[in-house]
Amino acid sequence: MMDNEVIIETIDLSRHFGALVAVDSVNIKVHRNTLHAIIGPNGAGKTTLFNLLSGNLSPTNGKVIFKGKDITNKPVYKFIHHGIGRSFQITNIFPNLTVFENIRLASQAMEKGNFKFWMNASRLPRCEQRTWEVIERVGLKERAHLIASTLPHGDQRKLELGMILAPDPEVLLLDEPTAGMAAEQVPELIQLIKEIQQAGNKTVMLVEHNMNVVMSISNVITVMHLGKVLAEGTPSAIAANKEVQTAYLGGLYELDV
Amino acid sequence: MLKTRISFFREQRNPIILLLITLALPFIIGIFEGSSPLMVWANQGSISKFIEGLGIEIFILALYALSFDLIFGVTGLLSFGHAMFFAVGAYLTGIALKTLGLPLYAVIGLVFVAAIVQAVLFGLVLPRVKGITFALVTLGMASVFHIVVMSSDVANYTGGDVGLQGVVVPAFINPAIERLRFYFIALIILFLAYWLYKVFVSSPTGRVCVAIRENEDRAKMLGYNTFKFKLAALMLASITAAFAGTLHALYQPVISPTIADLGFTVTALLIVLIGGVGTLSGAVIGALVYRLLDFVLRRYIGASASLVTGAIYVAFVLFIPYGIMGTWQLKKWAWKEGIQRLLRLFQVKPEEGEPKPQQSK
Repeated sequence: MMDNEVIIETIDLSRHFGALVAVDSVNIKVHRNTLHAIIGPNGAGKTTLFNLLSGNLSPTNGKVIFKGKDITNKPVYKFIHHGIGRSFQITNIFPNLTVFENIRLASQAMEKGNFKFWMNASRLPRCEQRTWEVIERVGLKERAHLIASTLPHGDQRKLELGMILAPDPEVLLLDEPTAGMAAEQVPELIQLIKEIQQAGNKTVMLVEHNMNVVMSISNVITVMHLGKVLAEGTPSAIAANKEVQTAYLGGLYELDV
Repeated sequence: MLKTRISFFREQRNPIILLLITLALPFIIGIFEGSSPLMVWANQGSISKFIEGLGIEIFILALYALSFDLIFGVTGLLSFGHAMFFAVGAYLTGIALKTLGLPLYAVIGLVFVAAIVQAVLFGLVLPRVKGITFALVTLGMASVFHIVVMSSDVANYTGGDVGLQGVVVPAFINPAIERLRFYFIALIILFLAYWLYKVFVSSPTGRVCVAIRENEDRAKMLGYNTFKFKLAALMLASITAAFAGTLHALYQPVISPTIADLGFTVTALLIVLIGGVGTLSGAVIGALVYRLLDFVLRRYIGASASLVTGAIYVAFVLFIPYGIMGTWQLKKWAWKEGIQRLLRLFQVKPEEGEPKPQQSK
């Protein structure tokens, strides 16, 4: 897996909030078709790193290189067209629109004809079809015509995932996709993420706190601590790393072999 | 293609029925006052002529409120400078006809260009300010326009604080002579604008505008350059409001500078709140209620009418927060079901079998 070409690379990426250095000279390389997890204690800078990679924040220093091109400081709406999609830790949907409309809007962005104001939106080619595919994929078919804010939290997480699947990006940045989900729903969603990554030749970057999940599905793990990269390696190497044990895992996690 | 057109007619059945009734209204009024349709046609029925006048005012207000609903209710931009959109159209029409002596088609072209220019002017600040800041910046721009219009330096053109008088309206559309024709033209313009807006809102562009209202940051993340969509909505609203202003200038004997001040923007806000924010049809219904309420109260209460109007609006916002059409759209199914249940209670057989709850289609 590590032989694949590098798809995202950060060079000395830093972000300051006043005196706080949330992300401090981070250099990571993400390889194509891998599932790359970012772990670390709260406040380690994982979400800030994601915000820098997805264009939501611009860095104080450093660069983001995507497929050999410098995409630092590009406007945020360009990122999905480059092929980087991002989901949020705190559910970020269109609350008063239906599930269908949420996902339809996500896939419409990739179509030509966004400014055909004389034509009904349902007549956009492929858009409708793509929307139903995605809805089926994330298992919301029965709820497609419910208002998004009325969905239970677990379904809103699925919707959030659907909104990043619809435009079909090459790289998916998933910020705690299972946050707040009922424990029995987690394996199903993780399985879905794994399937999507393998079937579609996608690169997935994942922030996750559930260690069992992280250890079982990722190819590479980067551990962050206080804005810096503490360690990087395969799941087994990370689990054995003494430094990581003290900083994050607290000696509590034992790798099931 | 044909199928979608037919289904569109079916969806818009109520507005079309309303249009037909409103077209026939002067003749119906005429029958009640004892003047034949031919007399009404020749603008001889006095009550029907009066009703036509009231109708024209309502159509102009509705057109103006409709354009405000597009940017406030649909796209979620709170602009406090909307009166300027209207006033630019009105003053430009007045000045072009009176001072420059241009023919009407040239005036329409001029208003169209001016409408686009002012939308771009508002658009310049769009990427920089959001929410309440946008409201204040637009308020500032509109206030500048208001002050300029009122100033004595340009009083030769605008009439200053007295208002612009003596606009020569082309005879074929002069509301004093050809009022019925003016009534029909205003009504048809309103209907076409409403239709265009309905199409716009269900188009890809309009759907993105709704998404911007709901969650602009997310819309950007999905890959939309939201600035362009907001600018498109502003342009459409500006053109509509400016032409409402043109109709106003043609209809009213005096163009008063009050149409350029904040109060007139608040009028649009009030109409949209009464009718239902973001519903479009609410803007039309709201304009009707607003104008009729104003008329009736002024007639029967007199000077203290504005106190009562104010109280009614407060009650409206408190108890019907979604407005007339907004509440109707929310409760429609519940009411229909309730009526069916009542019918069953009285052993009347419902026409279409069992009542159907909202289908998840």
